[in-house]
Amino acid sequence: MHILVVEDETRLREQLRDRLRECGYVVDVAADGEEGLYYGEEYPLDLAIIDIGLPKLSGIDLISRLRAHNKHFPILILTARGNWQDKVDGLETGADDYLVKPFQFEELEARLNALLRRASGWSKPVLDCGPISLDTGKQSITVSGKPVELTAFEYKVLEYLMLHAGEVISKTELTDNLYEQDYDRDSNVLEVFVGRLRRKLDPDNSISPIETLRGRGYRFRLQANSG
Amino acid sequence: MHSLHSRLLLAASLVLAGFIGATGLALDKAFHVSAEAAMQNQLQSHIYALLAAANEDENGHMMPPKELPEPRFSEPDSGLYAVITDHENKPLWHSTSLTGRDINVTRQQMPGKRSFSEFTRSGIQLYVLTFGVAWEDYAGTEALYTFTVAEDATGLQTEIDSFRSTLWRWLGSMALVLLLAQGIILHWGLRPLRTVTTDLQQIEKGRADSLDGDYPKELTGLTSSLNSLIEHSKAVQIRYRNSLDDLAHSLKAPLAILQTSQPGDRDRDPDDGQSLLSEQVNRMDDIISHQLQRASVSGRATLAKPVPVGKVVERLVRSLDKVYREKQVAVNLELDAAATFTGDAADLMEILGNLLENAYKYCKHTVLVQVRTDPYTAGVEISIEDDGPGIAADQVETVLQRGKRMDESIPGQGLGLSMANEIIAVYGGQLTFADSSLGGTLLRVTFNEQ
Repeated sequence: MHILVVEDETRLREQLRDRLRECGYVVDVAADGEEGLYYGEEYPLDLAIIDIGLPKLSGIDLISRLRAHNKHFPILILTARGNWQDKVDGLETGADDYLVKPFQFEELEARLNALLRRASGWSKPVLDCGPISLDTGKQSITVSGKPVELTAFEYKVLEYLMLHAGEVISKTELTDNLYEQDYDRDSNVLEVFVGRLRRKLDPDNSISPIETLRGRGYRFRLQANSG
Repeated sequence: MHSLHSRLLLAASLVLAGFIGATGLALDKAFHVSAEAAMQNQLQSHIYALLAAANEDENGHMMPPKELPEPRFSEPDSGLYAVITDHENKPLWHSTSLTGRDINVTRQQMPGKRSFSEFTRSGIQLYVLTFGVAWEDYAGTEALYTFTVAEDATGLQTEIDSFRSTLWRWLGSMALVLLLAQGIILHWGLRPLRTVTTDLQQIEKGRADSLDGDYPKELTGLTSSLNSLIEHSKAVQIRYRNSLDDLAHSLKAPLAILQTSQPGDRDRDPDDGQSLLSEQVNRMDDIISHQLQRASVSGRATLAKPVPVGKVVERLVRSLDKVYREKQVAVNLELDAAATFTGDAADLMEILGNLLENAYKYCKHTVLVQVRTDPYTAGVEISIEDDGPGIAADQVETVLQRGKRMDESIPGQGLGLSMANEIIAVYGGQLTFADSSLGGTLLRVTFNEQ
């Protein structure tokens, strides 16, 4: 998952970047509105966290420019002044949620998860596909009701595939959303992870949730359970 | 032209000058016309006198007058001349005064007809009256004569000139007096404005608190508005000062706790799962946002534009729908479009935002918002209810009591409600709690006559 953080306060920006990376997100940071606009227009983003009071281009202007350029990824605004005028202005311009500074990182993470899930068309925090159930809140997996232990990286791979269930995800897209740009991106490593994930989810090879499409990528094969 | 005084003075002077000029011209013209008419009458009576003085010969033909009725006819160059001509315009007789001159102003005139005109002959301006006469002799034959009398215009001109100079002298001094009077009236009339200005300067210098002079009634609207603005800004200032005071005081408590705590305590998880540090940080955050909120409330300003309540509710509901999309809250709005709030739009948004968010947070599925106006008191009533678990009576007490001092802080919920409650109080409104027919809480805000 590719996240852009636009925040002028250096300390906070770096803290957010580090903690979001720890959670397995790919993070780009921008220190002002214009830089934020550049990233927002040039990179495929899944979400942007935008501070309202930015230098050069205000947060509100940045959001309206991004929306005017048909960028539909979810946007979470951060505001230091918790007044409703700011919140309503931001939400009316095109933001999807707000968080008042200071905030607990856990609160931010919960909001991010909800926004990302919502953007992928899931309305509930638990993704159910056949026997596999992924709880984005607790970041836990059950298969046929039994908990399965995954590493953080395996969880991220599975979450990305399940959020895009039914779509073909190329290896490049998957690595782009799981690694930092300057990271060593060896696709063999990804294959190893997917192989391990398959074994953990489906030890006796009865449901085969993840398909490999030769030369194109992976697809999470199971449909979402209705209801 | 930035001074009212010079504006009025200039306009009045222009009008006055135009008016006096026109009056002068009209009077001058009228005098001229009447002087000429008098001249014509005078010439006419000279002609009648000449006619009366004319004699007849034995056949009844006219003989020119021998005894002249007016001595000036006999004096050479006296300025009054007479000529009698026959029907072929041949002079039969002229007055002695005309000796040595040829003024040649005679015109043939039918009997009984006359003509009055002005001529200039050899540099002399003359008023001339010609009068036609038919003279019947004893044989019954009619002979036609024309009597011409001319008078030098110099005398009349002198008279007109002297009238003119008297006229303009009078009008001029009248204009001066009027202008002077006008200047005095303006000065007197505009004095209250200058008083207000000096009084305002006194307030600026801190020597007075409000405009409390005795102002004319045209200005009392202005001065009372200014007074309420001054009062309002003073109230805001006091609120700022109190908030800063409270802020400083109430931040001292958590800071003291942190300072006296042992380094080990700060990271240790107490029973409630929160470290001492983050607990106190949260508390300080609550205090800061609360006190800043209190300070920034504008209060009811005199010249505030009425804010349509329904519009604000709709904006907030659209925004909250977005934030609480997953909850799929069904919001029913019953809004009276005429309901307005006299005050700062941001304050109203703060009140309603906090109350509505509370409803969204605690409802199961349904929220009902009603905005009504009271036709008798012109007050507004806003009620927000939900189908959630409701608020317990002791919690209501806490929410309403909170805020005066944040020293005994209860972190977490209720802060929004208590902030809303305080802003409502600043506007002289009331926040009341009741059980909703939907099953949850009913929050009712009332603002009395505005």
